[in-house]
Amino acid sequence: MASLPKRIIKETEKLVSDPVPGITAEPHDDNLRYFQVTIEGPEQSPYEDGIFELELYLPDDYPMEAPKVRFLTKIYHPNIDRLGRICLDVLKTNWSPALQIRTVLLSIQALLASPNPNDPLANDVAEDWIKNEVGAKAKAREWTKLYAKKKPE
Amino acid sequence: MDHQITTASDFRTTSIPNLYQLDTLLRCHICKDFLKVPVLTPCGHTFCSLCIRTHLNNQPNCPLCLYEFRESLLRSEFLVNEIIQCYTDVRSSLLNALKIQKPITTPGNNKGRNPQDSSLIELTSESENESSNAADDDLQIVATSERKPAKRSMTDILPLSSKPSKRNFAMFRSERIKRKSKSNDQMAQCPICQQFYPLKSLEKTHLDECLTLQSLGKKPNVSPNFIQDSKTQGKETPRLKSQTPEVDRSHSDKTSHVDKYLNSMISAEHQRLPKINFTSMTQSQIKQKLSSLGLSTNGTRQNMIRRYNHYEMIWNSNFCDSLDPVDEAELKRQLLSWDVSHNKTSQNNSTNGGISKLMMMKSIGKSSSYRVLLENFKNDKFNRKGWIIMFRKDFARLIKEAKSKIRTGSPKGSDLAGLINNEDDSREVQSCEGTRRQQMGEEQGTTNKERRGSNEANLPNEDLTDADLSRELMDMNEDGKDPPGND
Repeated sequence: MASLPKRIIKETEKLVSDPVPGITAEPHDDNLRYFQVTIEGPEQSPYEDGIFELELYLPDDYPMEAPKVRFLTKIYHPNIDRLGRICLDVLKTNWSPALQIRTVLLSIQALLASPNPNDPLANDVAEDWIKNEVGAKAKAREWTKLYAKKKPE
Repeated sequence: MDHQITTASDFRTTSIPNLYQLDTLLRCHICKDFLKVPVLTPCGHTFCSLCIRTHLNNQPNCPLCLYEFRESLLRSEFLVNEIIQCYTDVRSSLLNALKIQKPITTPGNNKGRNPQDSSLIELTSESENESSNAADDDLQIVATSERKPAKRSMTDILPLSSKPSKRNFAMFRSERIKRKSKSNDQMAQCPICQQFYPLKSLEKTHLDECLTLQSLGKKPNVSPNFIQDSKTQGKETPRLKSQTPEVDRSHSDKTSHVDKYLNSMISAEHQRLPKINFTSMTQSQIKQKLSSLGLSTNGTRQNMIRRYNHYEMIWNSNFCDSLDPVDEAELKRQLLSWDVSHNKTSQNNSTNGGISKLMMMKSIGKSSSYRVLLENFKNDKFNRKGWIIMFRKDFARLIKEAKSKIRTGSPKGSDLAGLINNEDDSREVQSCEGTRRQQMGEEQGTTNKERRGSNEANLPNEDLTDADLSRELMDMNEDGKDPPGND
């Protein structure tokens, strides 16, 4: 019933034709509202050298409602919980229809670069991060090696 | 409504890539399409009326700067509206005109060709065509506007082909200018005023000026800039019109976007619908409110509230913001189609049920055009006229049947009564009668359903004389004989 809005078609085309560096997003063959996303860990963060997989779903009310995004790759991050859910303002209260898939994914990449342990989703990680930042970052680096795909040289 | 998906990056490959910015600026940040009935927020941002109103139903702030405001503070932007309509009118020709020319269409390449080259012969005939049709230049422009760059090179090959029209001459001149500056992108034609300007100034200043001038109400016959070019202006206007169905639909076919802007005002005929706080209302009060507006009262309380809110939104967007508002009936049809896709529980209401049954029944053995109509019945592309035309014969037939039934009703009855008296035949006749009744019942059912489906469409045919009707009936029978091989 709900045919694919023009906006989604446009965004998809743009994502494919003019991709954001370090980010890929491909729609699923069966459901064009479902995207498989990969984000490269930002340089000089504990996540560098890793490629993280995510899933992104555009709800029926998109763009009036924020896309649903979740990490599929295990990641040690104070704002991302064990299930891969992300604590990010633009995905919740600060969503605006002027934002788009591209900007959301960029925000997530930025969140990887600068974790915010003062507004945590994974409490244990956040505590660790506040008490022992060096150790936490080392663990994040370790997890990246363990679970994330390697960036091709 | 343009059905094509266009993106601003189309201009990246033209000789003026910076038009990319203009194209982007004229788009709504919510739907990413060209602004449709643009409205201004108190914080100075512009969105489509429907887009921003939908957003404000969720969150009372500006999508771009998050400034909080109420829906009633939205203001129409007539100027932006006309700028966009004007721009979308010329966009495709602009794109074509600015396309970076491929080697085959550049003058130098064609010049060296053998005149007996087959492609050249084609070109010759086409360019002759153009000059011989100089009288209905307008039509010609419409037809060829898509291929402007190619045309230019044609006229260049045969500049002396029989009586070049002024237009041809202008093209020829433009080509000469282009040839002088071998890099061939130094000069470019402004798509609005048709004058030639150095590319840089066209791109940086002139185009914006020209667009603004046109929309600001500098009429062609007022501004000295346009007097010189009044001929091209005259040609330009009809071309704009013929390219946009949007404009054709409006009553002001003859007026330009400039005039439309100057005369733009919202008619005060329809009051804006208020936002209603439903929490304190009882179910029956809500029903009352809805039926006073002529809306369906099906579904749950939540369905009805959503229905009102949506109707309020399209109503206000239509009557408070739009310069070409549609009538209430069309709004209600839009609401119905929205209802079908959003308020899922209300699908079983009587009208819908009747219509879809009718559709199911009829879709067997009908042409493909019918299917297209049918598919669009519940959405915004529904073609009312097409529907009326398609079923004109059926309506006529039904009227005729109904009339003949009234006329022949009693004699038939007495015949049957007479026959029934004959004991031998009575059983047979009774069974006959039974079948007939069944048939009649079915036909009656169809009639009712079709009537309900489009009683408006029925009206024009009621004035038809019997002769007309029988002719139509014949037509219909002939149609009936045709195999439904269209599909």
